[in-house]
Amino acid sequence: MTQTFLLGLDGASYTVLRPLIDGSADEGVVMPYLAGLVADGYSATLRSTAHPLTPPAWTSVCTGRTPGHHGIYDFVRFEDMGDDIYFTLYDSRDIRCETLWQIAGRAGKTVASLNFPMMAPPQEVNGALVPGFVSWKHLRRNTWPRELYDRIKTLDGFDPREMSWDFERESQIGDVMPDDELHDWVEKHLPRDHQWFNIGLHLLREDNPDLMALMLDGTDKIQHQAWHVLDPRYWNPSEASHGRKKVRALVLDYFRGLDGYIRELHQAAGPDCQFVIVSDHGFTGAEKVVRINKYLESLGVLAWRAHDGSEAARRRDLANFANLDWTRTRAYCPTPSSNGVVIRVKSDKNPGGVDPAEYESFRAGLIAELLALRDPETGEAVIREVLKREDAFPGPAMGQAPDLTLVLSDHGFVSVRNLAPAVVTRPVPMGTHHPDGIFIMTGPGVRRAQGAVLSIVDTTAIVAHGLGLDIPADFEGRVPDDLFDGAWLTEHPVRIGGQTAAQDGTPAHDGDEADEDQREEVLAQLRLLGYLED
Amino acid sequence: MDAAKVRALVQATLEEFIEDWGLEAEIKPETRIVEDLEFDSIDVIQLTVAIESALGGRKLGFQDLLMRDGRYIDDLSLREVQDFVAAKIAA
Repeated sequence: MTQTFLLGLDGASYTVLRPLIDGSADEGVVMPYLAGLVADGYSATLRSTAHPLTPPAWTSVCTGRTPGHHGIYDFVRFEDMGDDIYFTLYDSRDIRCETLWQIAGRAGKTVASLNFPMMAPPQEVNGALVPGFVSWKHLRRNTWPRELYDRIKTLDGFDPREMSWDFERESQIGDVMPDDELHDWVEKHLPRDHQWFNIGLHLLREDNPDLMALMLDGTDKIQHQAWHVLDPRYWNPSEASHGRKKVRALVLDYFRGLDGYIRELHQAAGPDCQFVIVSDHGFTGAEKVVRINKYLESLGVLAWRAHDGSEAARRRDLANFANLDWTRTRAYCPTPSSNGVVIRVKSDKNPGGVDPAEYESFRAGLIAELLALRDPETGEAVIREVLKREDAFPGPAMGQAPDLTLVLSDHGFVSVRNLAPAVVTRPVPMGTHHPDGIFIMTGPGVRRAQGAVLSIVDTTAIVAHGLGLDIPADFEGRVPDDLFDGAWLTEHPVRIGGQTAAQDGTPAHDGDEADEDQREEVLAQLRLLGYLED
Repeated sequence: MDAAKVRALVQATLEEFIEDWGLEAEIKPETRIVEDLEFDSIDVIQLTVAIESALGGRKLGFQDLLMRDGRYIDDLSLREVQDFVAAKIAA
């Protein structure tokens, strides 16, 4: 019997879900089953990682540790080579902590983990693992155990092209689309969740893993592009065009379908299973484009790479990677998803960097300048907070974090493109991540209540407890006092004990000669992908 | 491992690699991975990793095969990959 079902809904937010479950949406109750789970169970706001982004946040769910410990900060990590910056992709080998799947396996529990990011290449688990964010062509090689792929291949309707990451389609997130194009874009995203749901349901019924963990990410993708038809602040049916109403109808069909997936999974798991629904972050609408590197240029700490007019140079300028003259750059934002500013410290390979003795004063000055950035239309601050890495990401992996993390006033992601002006208003609000996600839980011993704000790392402690495990002492989360009833806690006291298995504390990609080769492979991969131009 | 076994292993790895791609192509030494097998750039790198895994994780320095005169090449035949791997194993 499956003891715990962890259902991840990427980017799920009460802002969207509440009107769909309480009937205040124009269309009435769109998600009746979820409404029932909320009414009968425990729900709370789930506060994400300091920078609410999919890779660090889901890795926190999977490890019970914050990014300063697990070491994942972004989709992309970067290495300063002095005269150039190498951008590489984070993967499972960069996670410095043991995952919940491994912890449960060590305790003799069986696990199925489906569609969680940063899980490729797959590590051995006591059960099944299919990672998310992998191209369909490489799913077999990244599935654990390899034979599992042959099993899921036999499922009715199985189509790996539909379930896996389409780099071209994902790269369109952030583009402004006309309604008909947006309708098509949303439509193409609908089958992916169905594919993962189908595999999840199959493994749940066939294998009955002690821990079933499934992540569905249609919520995130659709909210990014279609936020303006979802957020009650922006949706006004009396002013919406026919095309826009069609988009909303399709998006709500997606949420209706999602409610059906939740119903089937919950019913298949059975009444004796603790069912936990979490998101990695919430969502909100961003109204401004903030070209942060343009602003840093105006401060005299950044210089763009000279443009030779070639097609390659044009593509570099439009890429989502900072394209800079590294010999004249002392502070820069590497990627939009990072919302980070990296300060380049002086060294033998980087003689133009900030002198270590001046680092603190340079950083303090930069923070003041960043907070001073104003929206020319309103005169209001564009950046609400600048987080120092020792405050946002304390831990042994802090050194891999950007020196500063920016929280924009509208929670948007920055742009790293070489365009002016530094701050402009978007034609339509774009969905962006908000730190406040969702936590909903039902099942044996779970109280019917609305709890206080939880931390994303609490999720891992709660799931570990539900599995009957001692919560490792180095987990950073806790089981809330009001989550379970007294009878449950008498029979199942929350026990803290032991540690997660020791890790070597260094990313798999760093260090020795073999890892250098590995890095070269990834660099080659990125170049071939067009992320880096020669 | 002798050259014939290396060549067979490379071919078998490639055949397994594209098993689920729904291609009709027959794999021969002259098969070109981009033109005939619809490889994307990321697939080329994944294939090199798969071949290295099939050889027990041995690093073969595929950059030497993939780059010519400082530029990444456009296409490769299976024979070129086999020759490269066989030469590295023999060295």
